[in-house]
Parts: sequence; structure tokens; C-alpha cells
Amino acid sequence: MTLVTLENRGGKTFEVNSKRPILETLRDQGVDLPFGCKYGGCITCAAKLISGKVDQKRQVALNNRQINDGYIILCVARPLTDITIKIGVESHDSLYRNPFLDPLEPHELKADIARSKEDE
Amino acid sequence: MECCGPGYSSPSEAIKAPREKLLYTIAIYTGTGIQKPDYLATVDIDPDSETYSQVIHRLEMPGIGDELHHMGWNACSSCFDDGSMSRKYLLLPGVRSNNIHIVDTATDPRAPILHKVIDGNDIKSKTDLSGPHTVHCLGSEIIISMLGDAKGEAPGGYLHLNKDFEIQGRWENSMGDIKFGYDFWYQPRHNIMVSSEWAAPNTFMPGFDLEEVGHLKYGRELHFWDFEKKEPIETMYLGEDGLLPLEVKFHHDPDSSHGFCGAALSSNVIHWWKDDTDKWQWEKIIDVENEPHPEWPLPVPGVMSAILVSMDDKYLYLNNWLHGDMRQYDISDPHNPKLTGQVWMGGLLGKAPYVNGVKMAGGPQMFQLSLDGKRLYVTTSLFSTWDNQFYPEIREQGGVMVMIDCDPINGGMTLNKDFIVDFGKEPNGPSRCHEARYPGGDCTSDIWL
Repeated sequence: MTLVTLENRGGKTFEVNSKRPILETLRDQGVDLPFGCKYGGCITCAAKLISGKVDQKRQVALNNRQINDGYIILCVARPLTDITIKIGVESHDSLYRNPFLDPLEPHELKADIARSKEDE
Repeated sequence: MECCGPGYSSPSEAIKAPREKLLYTIAIYTGTGIQKPDYLATVDIDPDSETYSQVIHRLEMPGIGDELHHMGWNACSSCFDDGSMSRKYLLLPGVRSNNIHIVDTATDPRAPILHKVIDGNDIKSKTDLSGPHTVHCLGSEIIISMLGDAKGEAPGGYLHLNKDFEIQGRWENSMGDIKFGYDFWYQPRHNIMVSSEWAAPNTFMPGFDLEEVGHLKYGRELHFWDFEKKEPIETMYLGEDGLLPLEVKFHHDPDSSHGFCGAALSSNVIHWWKDDTDKWQWEKIIDVENEPHPEWPLPVPGVMSAILVSMDDKYLYLNNWLHGDMRQYDISDPHNPKLTGQVWMGGLLGKAPYVNGVKMAGGPQMFQLSLDGKRLYVTTSLFSTWDNQFYPEIREQGGVMVMIDCDPINGGMTLNKDFIVDFGKEPNGPSRCHEARYPGGDCTSDIWL
């Protein structure tokens, strides 16, 4: 069993099955979480990873800047270790960015079109 | 002319229909931080009613996270001669969940009820499609543009439903070389359908990365289809003039070959028509210049996310969501549009931060015109994730619906001072309104065979 701690819910901790997506295991235990597509494509369920590691290879919604800022997509992410996360829109402070005010660097794009930082 | 089916015998008969008294708009909580279902709001737009300019009913969807967006009727004037059909059901697709909600608006037009839900997973498994957008009826059949495959990758295709809302499979016989889907409109007397391009759901749903436009993740082409054969026959490459070609509208006159598309990021209107040698031609007829912003390094594009043609085909309306203006153009000569009206409401340029005492978050976005062309209802939210990027304050303030009085004879637009619906004051907290429909049909639904 793996532990998921919700930093912005008073540090409440849940035991989860690490083979299943975090969204599913938390909702099954009564945690009210936003979600949309449920396949890792739409960003509605994004949360911020404060500590620990997850496997979120199946997500396609986040660009590299969002990943570097700690965002994870709960509907497909599975915990690899005990984790602490911040959930809901309170965690979205740096998720959304005005693209005209704050452009992405080539290495900050989504994985399929990003260039490595060394090539810039 | 009296008949037995839904709608009107012609656009000129539609213009004479009784004035609209109710309006339906979807309102979302998806992406707002409020854990409630999206809903269909009934707005009282009868000025003689005590509840004028108020939401009088809310029909919640069964689950959360749908992101209701556009809607469409089960039947329109294309069924005018079919006494077995009636305009009774409104289809409400959820862009994110893939669920399609069928709402009965006829049993009690003021308080619609949920008739059926087509499960999003069922659509995925039977058709390999997701990301429902535009709903049109084809006689008694229904087709819906789906912007992605079951995994959210482009180009998607078209979902075909029968009149009992059962999945019939894919409508199209081929997607040809089409890269993306979005909106479509058809003109049966010319056996033509035109479709436009946004992006794959996996690209646009998480938000807008400007850099992805240069990486060709967003569309810049229009596609002309052989409507009967259900396959694309010609592509118009619009290039920089047509970045993100979104809303597609033909003239309502079923004999006309003229049509229009608003290219959102280029903020241009593209016009097409069939020439004397039966070839399809296109040209750019309106170009909204980018505007400087006091605090931004880059100039601000208008972001023309919607266009609408009045039922008499005389006026074209467009929005500039980031600039904050609605415009009216006289398109009597579709090659030479003339700007005849402009109203500011919200936007990033600071020209109209308040409308009728309500602080605006967002800019003019979706709109619906009355059949007689005199009243234009305008909402302010585009799409939850895009709202969150450009107008983050909309989370606390919610969306707004305003009304613009339009002069269909001489041209001109004036903000109506007596009407405003503030979705920031909704009982469950600030929600965001988007597309609107009238029970009797509207300027973006009906097609004549």
C-alpha cells in the first residue's frame, strides 16, 4: 500500500493501490476532485506534486514547463512512492499562463515537439 | 405557408416568426473549481414578464466534468415537410466527457427535462471518436463533428445518430487528408459541406500554447465536401490569413453558394463562393488588426471565435474576444463588407470594464441573433481552460449574458440597458455561460433543403 497525503486538506492521508490512477483511488475514498476526460488529455484534474514520485507516462496534456512546475494528471498518474500533493484549483496557481505575456521556451513545449535545452 | 413539420418554409418566413420569449444557454462549472455539474439555464427574455432578464430554471447534467459547449436541435427547417418530426430535443455534448445529453424542451419549455444520455464511452468504443462539437440535423438524422479519435488525437470524424438518438456509427465515408476538425455547415442544393479546423482535443483542451501554432498543431485549412458522397473533395489552404479557422456559416438562402468562416487567431473573415465556372473560390474580406497592449510584449489579436449571419443574409456579426468588441458588417455585397456597428463589452483593452453595472470578466464570445435580426444575445466565456489563461478573474466573477439591439434596416448596434444576466450570482457560485438557443429555432440552426 502507498500513502497519498493531501497538503491542502489538512494533511489528510489515504492508503491507495499504487497500480490504479490516483483520481480513482481518492474518489473511491470520498475525496471530491475535479476531472474531465479521464484519459490524461484535458488537464481538468491537474494537481501539484509536493513530494514523492509518480508514473504519468500516459498523460498528454502537460507541457514541459508545467511538468517542471510539479503538475501531475491525477486521472492517469500512479504513485511510485508515498506522495504529498496539493489538489483542486487551489493548486493551479502556475498551471495556466497567458501565452502572449509569458511565451514558452522550446524546451518547455509538450514532449512531442520540445527541443532539448542543449540544442537551443 | 403552413405545414406540419418543424421550422419554417424559408428564411423569409423564419424572420416573421413570433418574438422569442425564452432562451437556453449552457453554463459550466468544469474547470472553475466548483464541484457541481454543468447545466442548461433557461433565461426569461420576455420584456413583459416579471422575471425578465433572469435565469428561471436550471437543468443539471447527471455528472461533473462534461464541459458543455455547443448545442443543436434534433430537427430544423430541413424537416419542414415531415409531419412525423418536431423540434423537441436539444442535444448537449460534453467536450471533455464525450457524453451527449438529449434534453426534452417541448414538454415544458420553461423547465426542460433530461430525456437520455448517450454514454461517452459507448461512443468511443463504437466509433473511435471523442470531443463532440457541432450538432446539425440532416432531415431526420443527426451528425456531430467529433474533434478527436477515442484517444483525443486528430482528425476525428463525424458521429451519426438516428432520430431516436441511437449511434449509427461514422457519418463520413472518408476524412481524406483532413488534419483537424471543428465546425461544419452544409448547403444541400449545391451538394456541398464545408468544415473547418481547430486542433486535436489533446492540444486545445489543456489550454492554448501559442508556440503550438507554429508547430502545426492548430488548423489553417477549410475543407469542401461532396455532401452526398460524404467525402472531402477540395481543400483551401488559408495560411497565415486563416490561423484557427473556426465557425463556418453559409448564407441562409438555400440557393446561395456564399459562405463565411472566422479565423480566430488571424482574426480574419474568409469568404467563399462558387464562381461562373462552378469552381470554389475564397478571399479574405475582413482583417481585424492586432492591438498594442500597455503591458504586453506582443500585440493582442482580436481572437474572432465566432461569426453569425442574420436570417436575411444582410449582416455578418463577429466577436473579438480579447479586444472586447462585437461588430456588425453589412454583407449585402459579400465581397465588400461594410462595418455598420460596434459595441464594446469587457476585453483586455480596457474599453468597457463594466456593462450595465456588472464588472466584466472575459470578452464577447458566443452570440445568438433573434430571427427578426433585432436582438443579439452575447456571452463572455470561451472554454474553461482558455478562460483561465486569458481572464483568470472569471473564476470569481463568472460569465455574463448581455443583449445588443440591432437595426436590421439601417445597420447599427446599441447595448441594451435593461438586460443583463450575471452568472457570477448563480446559486452554486460563479458559472460561465456559452452558446445560446431559442426554442423556435435560431440563426445558427436551420438549413433548407
